[in-house]
Formats: sequence, C-alpha cells, structure tokens
Amino acid sequence: MGEDFEPKVVGFCCHYCAYSAADLAGSMRMEYSPNVRIIKLECTGKLDTLHLLSAIEDGADAAFVAG
Amino acid sequence: MRAKKRVKQAKKLLEEVGLEADRVEMFNLGASDAPRFASACNEMTERARRLGPNPLRKGRKA
Amino acid sequence: MIVGERKPFVEICDRLQGFKKVLVLGCGTCVSVCMAGGEKEVELLASQLRMANGLKDGDVEIIEATIQRQCDKEYIEPILEKARECDAVLSAGCGAGVQLVAEMLQTLPVIPALNTRFIGVALGEGVWSERCRACGNCLLADYGGICPMTLCPKSLVNGPCGGSKEGKCETSPERDCAWMLIYERLRKQGKLDRMRGLAPLKDYSAQSHPARQVNEAYVKAEMEASHSK
Repeated sequence: MGEDFEPKVVGFCCHYCAYSAADLAGSMRMEYSPNVRIIKLECTGKLDTLHLLSAIEDGADAAFVAG
Repeated sequence: MRAKKRVKQAKKLLEEVGLEADRVEMFNLGASDAPRFASACNEMTERARRLGPNPLRKGRKA
Repeated sequence: MIVGERKPFVEICDRLQGFKKVLVLGCGTCVSVCMAGGEKEVELLASQLRMANGLKDGDVEIIEATIQRQCDKEYIEPILEKARECDAVLSAGCGAGVQLVAEMLQTLPVIPALNTRFIGVALGEGVWSERCRACGNCLLADYGGICPMTLCPKSLVNGPCGGSKEGKCETSPERDCAWMLIYERLRKQGKLDRMRGLAPLKDYSAQSHPARQVNEAYVKAEMEASHSK
C-alpha cells in the first residue's frame, strides 16, 4: 500500500460519445491513465445509480460516467 | 441529463455510508473529444490516489 | 398515492444493530412511484448497508426482495420463508405495509426504512405534494376540486380568512392561500355563486380511527363459499 498503490478506476462510457472519444484517443496515440477499466453503455441514460454503488461496493477506488 | 442526477444521487448515498463522494464523478464530452476523455481518466486516477485505496477492498484480492 | 421518505441512513443502521442477517423488503406500489421504497431503492439501500458493514469489518448478511404490495397478504406470503431465514426484516413499505408484514411474521422484528408522509400527487420529477387527509367525507365537489381541509392550515370550510394576502397564506409567503385557489377555480368554472353560500360545519365523525371498510357482497360470497365446502 502507500507508494505502490495502483488505483482501479471504472469508467462508464456512452457508446456514441465517450466510447468514440476513447477510441479516438487511442488512434491519436494519446497517453492517459492505464488504471481505467472502461464499461460501454448503450447510452449514459442507461446508467443506474446502482452501477456506481456496485463498482465502489466491489472495491473500485473511483468510478466515473462519461458521455 | 439523467446520468448527472444519478451520479449526484450516488455521491449522496456514498456520503451517507461514510465514503468519499469524490470517488464518483460525471464528465460531459463529445465523440471527438479525445483530450477531454484522457483528462477525465487522469483526473479520476489522481483523485483515487489522493483519497487512497477504497477501504472496502481490504481483505479482497484486488 | 401514499408518499414516503427514506429514514436517515444512521437511524436505519442504528435499528439494525445486532442483527446478523437482514431482509430488505421493498414494495412495488406507492412508495415505488415516489422513489422511496421500490425495487431500485431497495437495491441501493442494500448496497449501502453492505458497504457500511464492510467498512466496520462486520459479518452481517443483507438480502433483498421486492413484492408488488406489502398491504396485501397474498403478496407477502411468497416471501415469508425467505424472511424467516433472517433475524430481522427492514421494510421499505409504508406504515401499513410494515404492520402487515410484521403481523404475518409475528416473532420476527420488522423495522421501517421509511417515514410515511402523506397521500399526495407528483408535481414533477422528485416533487410530491399532499392533497388528501382521508377524512372519510369528501367535499371536493363543493370546492372546485381543491381540498381546503388539506391545503388550508386552518382547514376552513368557509374562506378565505383575514390572513390571505395577495393569494398567499399568512403562515408562509411561499404557500398559496387554498381559498384563493378555490376562488380562481370556481371562477374558471363559472361557479362563483358557490362562494356566496355558507357551508355547514364539516362532519368529521367519519374520521374515526382505526377506520374499517367492508364490502358486504364479497364477504357474504366468501362465507357462502366456505359453507358449501
């Protein structure tokens, strides 16, 4: 722990915007945090409060929604 | 937007439990907004580092 | 619908202290619509309870179920077995639901997760407002469909009183004067002459508690059916 703590972050991404943005970031060879695990949603409108709570309940250090 | 309300709700519920509301966040961005996506990922990873490990992860194989 | 509000999380945790296995029981009718005790809210509350337990290194097991109605025995029956495997039930139903679940379980503590507030309507997303006191003697026909017993702090059957200022109630500048609303409604309906009449004192005798209602036809049919068996 401490120094060697590598956070686990869950990113809920909208298929039509943030997921495309992530794709684009990849093809642009942009560097960003490798700690993020992306979960694709059909649309952020599908996001349930429970998705965020479950992510934290199951041990994620942070979770975000992008869309 | 619906997701924004739900993120707000999640923040409130986490706070009630005694966890940091900052562990969850909402970012609005467009399909071509790759830099903003990258900064969102970095921002959340930084936040997680600042807040420290999720106390619920202890004892669990991360 | 009956509008309820989830109790503060700390109060719920306090009441659950000492129990090792708890069933969080939602209700799919009124409290589901007012986003207080339906399936979604039960999932969130159960998740919160598991997290709180995890933070304390506790070993409490939280299970969930949501039934269509907690105020009807036939809906409660299917979850009785599941409930009996627990030390307590945390009911997210209204006060009536909590009581019927407790009555059917008898030996098991049933703890309310909500404060039951009122009979009301949804004004918009996330906003509910009281409309009915369940007085048992409805006079809405006289008042253009606006209940002065509920909306006027004095429950005046003849109004407005001297505290009505520019359409607002003297108790709060944010509160509409119920009698102003009634006047406007009757005016729109061309029934302003109703304001001229003097309403007799309201008969509150129908509001005796606990109220009970019996539909004779159904009760008789039930009795005949059991006799013919």
